[in-house]
Amino acid sequence: MNDKEIYKQKKLFKYLLIHLAIITFVVICVYPLLRILSVSIRPGDKLISTDLSLIPAGATFAAYVRLLKETLFLRWLWNSLLITVATSFIGVSLASTAAYAFSRFKFGGKKGGMILLLSTQMIPAGMLILPLFLMIMKLGLMNTYLGMIIAYSVSSLPFSIWILKGYYDTIPRSLEEAALVDGTSQLGAFYRIILPLSTPALSIAFLFNFTTAWNEYLVARVVLFSSKQYTWTLGLFELQGQYITQWGMFAAGSMLVTIPVLMVFLYSSKWLISGLTLGSVKG
Amino acid sequence: MAEVRFSKVTKKFNENVILNGVDAEIRDHEFVVIVGPSGCGKTTLLRMLAGLEEITSGEIYIDNVLVNNMHPSKRQIAMVFQDYALYPHMTVAENMSFALRLRKAPKAEIDQRVTEAANILQLTKLLGRMPKQLSGGQRQRVAIGRAIVRKPKVFLFDEPLSNLDAKLREEMRVEIAKLYQRLNATIIYVTHDQVEAMTLAGRIVVMNRGIIQQVGSPIEVYRKPANLFVAGFIGSPTMNFISGRLSMADGKAVFQSEDLSIGVPGFVLHESEAVDGREVVLGVRPDDVLVGGKASEHCSEKLQAVLEVSELLGHRENLYLKIGQTRLVAMVEAFFNQAPGSAVPFCLNYTNMHFFDKITEKRIG
Amino acid sequence: MDILYSIYEVLWFALIVLTGIALIEGYFYYHFKFYDRRWFFPVALIGFPLAAVAFCRALGLAADPFRPLLWFLGSEALITLFFRHIVKGRNQLAYLLLAPAFIGLALLLVYPFIFEIYLSFHDLKLTTIMQWKNTGVLPFVGLRQYVNVFTTSPLSEVTFWALLGRTLWWTFINVFFHVTGGFALALLLNNSIRFKGFYRTLLVIPWAMPQVVAVLAMRGEFHSQYGFINIMLVKLAAAYPILASLGIGPVQWLSNYPLATCTLINIWLGIPFMMVVILGGLQSISSSYYDAADIDGASYLQKLRYITIPLIKPVLMPAVTLGTVWTFNNINVIYLVTGQSGGTEQADILVSALYKAAFTYNRYSYSAAFAIVIFAILFFISVFYLKSFDAAKEER
Repeated sequence: MNDKEIYKQKKLFKYLLIHLAIITFVVICVYPLLRILSVSIRPGDKLISTDLSLIPAGATFAAYVRLLKETLFLRWLWNSLLITVATSFIGVSLASTAAYAFSRFKFGGKKGGMILLLSTQMIPAGMLILPLFLMIMKLGLMNTYLGMIIAYSVSSLPFSIWILKGYYDTIPRSLEEAALVDGTSQLGAFYRIILPLSTPALSIAFLFNFTTAWNEYLVARVVLFSSKQYTWTLGLFELQGQYITQWGMFAAGSMLVTIPVLMVFLYSSKWLISGLTLGSVKG
Repeated sequence: MAEVRFSKVTKKFNENVILNGVDAEIRDHEFVVIVGPSGCGKTTLLRMLAGLEEITSGEIYIDNVLVNNMHPSKRQIAMVFQDYALYPHMTVAENMSFALRLRKAPKAEIDQRVTEAANILQLTKLLGRMPKQLSGGQRQRVAIGRAIVRKPKVFLFDEPLSNLDAKLREEMRVEIAKLYQRLNATIIYVTHDQVEAMTLAGRIVVMNRGIIQQVGSPIEVYRKPANLFVAGFIGSPTMNFISGRLSMADGKAVFQSEDLSIGVPGFVLHESEAVDGREVVLGVRPDDVLVGGKASEHCSEKLQAVLEVSELLGHRENLYLKIGQTRLVAMVEAFFNQAPGSAVPFCLNYTNMHFFDKITEKRIG
Repeated sequence: MDILYSIYEVLWFALIVLTGIALIEGYFYYHFKFYDRRWFFPVALIGFPLAAVAFCRALGLAADPFRPLLWFLGSEALITLFFRHIVKGRNQLAYLLLAPAFIGLALLLVYPFIFEIYLSFHDLKLTTIMQWKNTGVLPFVGLRQYVNVFTTSPLSEVTFWALLGRTLWWTFINVFFHVTGGFALALLLNNSIRFKGFYRTLLVIPWAMPQVVAVLAMRGEFHSQYGFINIMLVKLAAAYPILASLGIGPVQWLSNYPLATCTLINIWLGIPFMMVVILGGLQSISSSYYDAADIDGASYLQKLRYITIPLIKPVLMPAVTLGTVWTFNNINVIYLVTGQSGGTEQADILVSALYKAAFTYNRYSYSAAFAIVIFAILFFISVFYLKSFDAAKEER
């Protein structure tokens, strides 16, 4: 063997090691998801087993059928969807205008406002659940969609404003000035020029609001108490908690909610992260 | 078409004075170029005229109507921005018709005006494209088209060519000149490039530090710069400046510096200005530093200089001369076959000598 | 029908929100427009508070109109004066654009916060809650709740100080492994290898999954009999008796080592975020630095020490700050693992104990005081963090 070959072999060895290391981590990351999948297609009599094979003998979709037929799973999904869409719309529309003011105007209290926004992020979410719960109770909105929407609607607002402001800042001002000369008002320029151009950032903010509310558990736990009003997080927790026989249905439900969320997340993660780092590095 | 009048226009940003009492009048059908170094306030002036910047004090009139507090769209102006500001989410046609659509103009009229403008600017084939799909020069033309479609009283151009590369810039310069002849509109054009100013303008407004330095036709500004700043700013390569003093001998004025002594003909300086011992700056354009054969043709008394470097530009050549401690640039026709270090006889073209008072920096002859 | 009704309910609410925003905007609009008219001050002072009280009565609030009227009168006077002498009609559009968001934040973030402070000085618990709901009156107890926080257990046995220590330990361990794990993975991924995008996608799955599903699934894997980990341990012990004789065998994770279980799960959950952030930082480092270092003869470790780490610090520091706050505040993992009836309190940290104190033990005022104390701790940690962050910035 000459030097070149030794070098080549060394390099090959190095790459092999890297791949091996990464694959180990990948397995650790993905395995629990695969296990849910495999549990969800286990036949009912073999739910409790120490079998580790991914595709069990006698695989069946019975758990999915039972989940949809015997539980309120669809209703839970619908509840979650309704609450989540409503909160996201409220959150994004409030954030889009506020971010515009922060991005384009100079006004007294601008810096203070931005700092206030950031400092709200320091209030532990868990801390506000109690007063929100008491407020919702006092307003008589326990166990309703409205109570949930109210509790969720501003939780992602500071972050959304931050992301949108960052995006607006990259749109040249001359576009709005051209629109002003062309005959729009300042608000018209926002509506006709800035908003259409910001669809990427708006959809990221929307997604962020959406996933936060969609995956929320702790507020739902205290506001909702009848299983008809449950969001899917509560429903799944209940399925998992009750009896070990529900394990298959829990797994099936998990798969049904996870797959769409996963797809949306993987699709948008790039922008989400750039938004996360952008905001923090700039500040 | 319309005239524009600035009256004592001032702009302050906090404590910084950007514009300090600008008075100017722009006549109907006139192509006025406002030129100055960056930060001189020229763009601010234009943006105040467009209504994009608040006016601290003073008045701006378009067609004798005070527009200080008028919304930009009501001023009947159109503006071409430095970065074109084409709406990225609209096609070329939509970009051009945006203002008309906002005004709810009838569709037939919108179509007719867009087609007309597209014909003028050869954009017909591009009407369906998005700005992203256009080259720099095409975007520039769309931006101009957007202005034409509106049939404004005044066209405002804010450094429209500065984002183009050198070759395109020359082409577009000619295009804009042609367009002006065709539209015969009032145009106010802001640039920092004095070549654009010289080639395009009917009248040039030279600005520096928020003050108008000189207003005049290109040839006036070039031949009779009102002060040291204008003299140095207009013309390339830059005018040579030599500090010195005037002295009177036998009723004739003589300019004396550390290294030079030059007789000044009577027609250059007014008699009242020719004061014995006055501190002045002599300005000579590089073209007027005559060297070699030309020197012997034109002048009787010749001076001696040493050639430091020569730069060949093709048809012309820049010579960097040194006389004692004084340095001069001369521009001659190619090829000046002399090695650096050699002695060069030269003289100054008396007809185009400029004298400025050293303290006031104003032109005295 | 149910579905139609639920849509109707939500749309109805959206309409209320829109009306609310319109009212707010109108209110501020008139303040901007007429702030300097002489007639405006008395008109606003009479008109708006009356309208507000009428509105509240229509909603069924404010049974006794006199006190709220005084409140509204006072705040209206303040607002009018504020507009007259400070805002003076400037930046109208900016404030109008900000108003809905900030009023939303004030009502649902700032007000609850203040309400929590109020609660912490009173006594709201299961026995007084009906009284409060009907009359809105609560007995004042001064600092007693705060004293209780430090002297009695928030739950049934664990003390505040034990919780604090556990929280700091939990935060440190988690953030430490998040950062080192994320860093290692990012370094591995930053090589030019095949399937990089594919690996990256799979590696973020724990972060991308709904947390409820992820935690519950992982919890299943720690089950003493059917969880993956114990199955593996049993198999290992069976295959290699030596290991069994060393004491390796199935572990009662959930009942004997709940905190360790939670920590393992949370580390698993948190590494992907750090990995992605660090990877982004690594990719933004220009390769010419590494080329220059190669020419200077730097080893791999030297390059890591003198180029990579200093250059990703500006990306890493905010991410670590965020990560610390998130971990400190993480109720989800611990509650989902131990929150069911009969769950242990061996794994609780401050925030999860807070949640349980409020909603499992229903000690509302107590947990309000507890929350304020936690907030103060977090506040000091954050200030300390930011200070050291600024110091690091100045070094550069």
